[in-house]
Amino acid sequence: MPDAAQSTSQTVSSGTPAAPKDLSAEKEAELRESLKRCSAATLEAALKFLKTGDVEQLPTVVIGVIERFVDPDQRAKLQEKDDELRLIEDLGIDSLTMMEIVILVEEALQMTINNDELRNLRTVGDIKVFIDCKARGLPPPQPAKFLPVEQIVALMPIQPPFLFLGEASVSSANASAKYKITGQEFFLQGHFKNNPVLPASIMLEALGQLAVLYLLEGYEPTEAGKVVNADQIFFTGCEGVRVHRVCRPGDVLSLSIRPKRMKMPLATFEGTIRVGQEKAAIAEEITLTFGLKDAATAVVAPSAADAPSLSSLPTDTPQA
Amino acid sequence: MGQRVFITGLGLITSIGNDVPGVIASLRDLRHGIQLYPPFEPESVPVKVAAPVRDFDTASNDPEDWTYPAAYKIRREVIRGMAPHGVYAWCAMQQAIADAALAESDVGDNADTGLYAASGGSPQLMGHMLGRMHKLGVMRCSPLGIVAAISGTLNFNLVAHFKIKGPSCGFSSACASSTHALGYAYDDLVLGRAKRMFVVGAEDGNLDSILPFAGMRALSLSRDPATASRPFDAARDGFVGTGGAAVLVLETEAEVERRKSAGAAVSLYGEVAGWGQASDGHNVAISHPEGEGLALAMRRALAAAQLEPSAVDYINAHATSTPIGDLSEIRAIKAVFGEGGAGPKVSSTKALTGHGLSLAGAMESAFCALALREGFIPGSAHITQLDPECAGVNIPRQTLDEAPAVALNNSSGFGGANVSVVLKRASS
Repeated sequence: MPDAAQSTSQTVSSGTPAAPKDLSAEKEAELRESLKRCSAATLEAALKFLKTGDVEQLPTVVIGVIERFVDPDQRAKLQEKDDELRLIEDLGIDSLTMMEIVILVEEALQMTINNDELRNLRTVGDIKVFIDCKARGLPPPQPAKFLPVEQIVALMPIQPPFLFLGEASVSSANASAKYKITGQEFFLQGHFKNNPVLPASIMLEALGQLAVLYLLEGYEPTEAGKVVNADQIFFTGCEGVRVHRVCRPGDVLSLSIRPKRMKMPLATFEGTIRVGQEKAAIAEEITLTFGLKDAATAVVAPSAADAPSLSSLPTDTPQA
Repeated sequence: MGQRVFITGLGLITSIGNDVPGVIASLRDLRHGIQLYPPFEPESVPVKVAAPVRDFDTASNDPEDWTYPAAYKIRREVIRGMAPHGVYAWCAMQQAIADAALAESDVGDNADTGLYAASGGSPQLMGHMLGRMHKLGVMRCSPLGIVAAISGTLNFNLVAHFKIKGPSCGFSSACASSTHALGYAYDDLVLGRAKRMFVVGAEDGNLDSILPFAGMRALSLSRDPATASRPFDAARDGFVGTGGAAVLVLETEAEVERRKSAGAAVSLYGEVAGWGQASDGHNVAISHPEGEGLALAMRRALAAAQLEPSAVDYINAHATSTPIGDLSEIRAIKAVFGEGGAGPKVSSTKALTGHGLSLAGAMESAFCALALREGFIPGSAHITQLDPECAGVNIPRQTLDEAPAVALNNSSGFGGANVSVVLKRASS
């Protein structure tokens, strides 16, 4: 694969470091100056990457550059190695700081990043994947799609009060979502008596719902002209489920799933739930069945069904 | 006539002191801030002296390298969009806010508080940014390069960081800029458009902001810091560049009363009594030989303040120590105040500070405010032999323990912009 990758590396500037090359003393001095406020490990990794083309160094460089621009009291978060860490919401990075990060990454790795490539980079993980593809000369991944709750409601066959996804972000490689336990959930009245705790089954349900959202928005069937049929997605099984933390009203669940195997009609995912930096639950495998339908006849409900815009968001919209 | 307007606070980062007490001491003892300036050391640079601010190091093109007195703490996301003079002004703002005993709610998120500022932008950072653009490509310019470098950087930064919600604007009339800012701030207060205005003048005062003036032969080539800046001296040969920042807090009488009755320790430096301006319409860079515009500006300022020329005790002259400019001003003063020894005392504090360009007007208006409150008249330093043309004008060589009741500050900028502002002792 790397061979094929290098042949498509025109997207990277002429200074592409995909192949090993010599680094002049002058360039090295410039790099040292550019990265002088980053950790020594950042400089080391950048030098190694530039000299050997070793893409394993990239995460260290990227994290090192982000760390340099993040407010000192936010820096500890970066050490958690949480790829779901959001740049704006969790790290307080504004769009101008994002530009500063990009420019320094460009300098460190001697590559050029276009403005339009930056949209949709919302998390530390997004940036890592993006830079990795860039350095390997691979086309950048389909950018993660950000879906506000209104759009999730419009897309999903599952509806409130049984929908446990707030905002979500879906790409071809994974999906993540937030859900805040409000305390108003109907089942908390009885689970437990005077002691509201989110049922573990609901945690698993939430991960399953995120997998459904992935199938609808992140997965592209190999069969041309077909799309996943929202009416034919069902749960079949799960394995290796462990709950590590009691979740209560006020907690914000950070849900993430990643497809492990996709083989019609089965789709298997691994999923995790965190609350802040704490692990709340994991599922080694969640498997769903799904069916396809013709993309052309996707418009099942004639009214507003193919327009998932905010104006067509009644909760009874069956699917889009 | 609307509201009376008072000066209630000052902040000063200057070549002759980085706070009010330091500046008062320098003005009283005629201590100058001029030195052999290390960046001018190379043989190829004919100019040798400048009056940089002390205790700040802003030589690097990267704001995160800059150092400043430990009393101030500026966060990275604040300093990253600033020019060197933005940092000076940020510090001077802190002083002025404390000096005026302003509460947090008097400054930020207050629709009645405004800020007018003036600086020439940052030639240093502009040069650095354009250098990067040509060398590394357009997209490698720092995202904040523009707001740090262009004219207006001062007001952009201060308005944002101090959460100013009232009027804000930058003024650009070269060496008259911050006097214009003061004049229009006064107008806004009189007209009821604001209750409090910060007036800020600042300049980088470094190699890139000073040396281009050598091309027009405006800078002194003297190698002696002790005499290089000598307004009204027969042998004066140009100005000495300086930088820094000056902040004045202007407030309406009603606002002063309100704060006093709320328990704030407000003390008045003086009253802004009026201002005037007029233009030479003569030359892009040279003042009118008879000081026509400046004379009219002074007459208009006095008329606005409803004062006769004889009421003026002290004039802080614009006089920058250039052969032509100083003479124009002396002729204008003679025209307005009449020949003979009965006129006001006239001095140029630029002998001590050097010329601060857009900073000059605010800095020297602040000096006038100090003279009014502290009861002294700053002397005109470094005169060995008075220019014969100045004969008949009362130019004290030493600081006088005389309390002026009315002081007038002159400023003249490129294009022949002339501004004059009249300040009165608070008790008068």
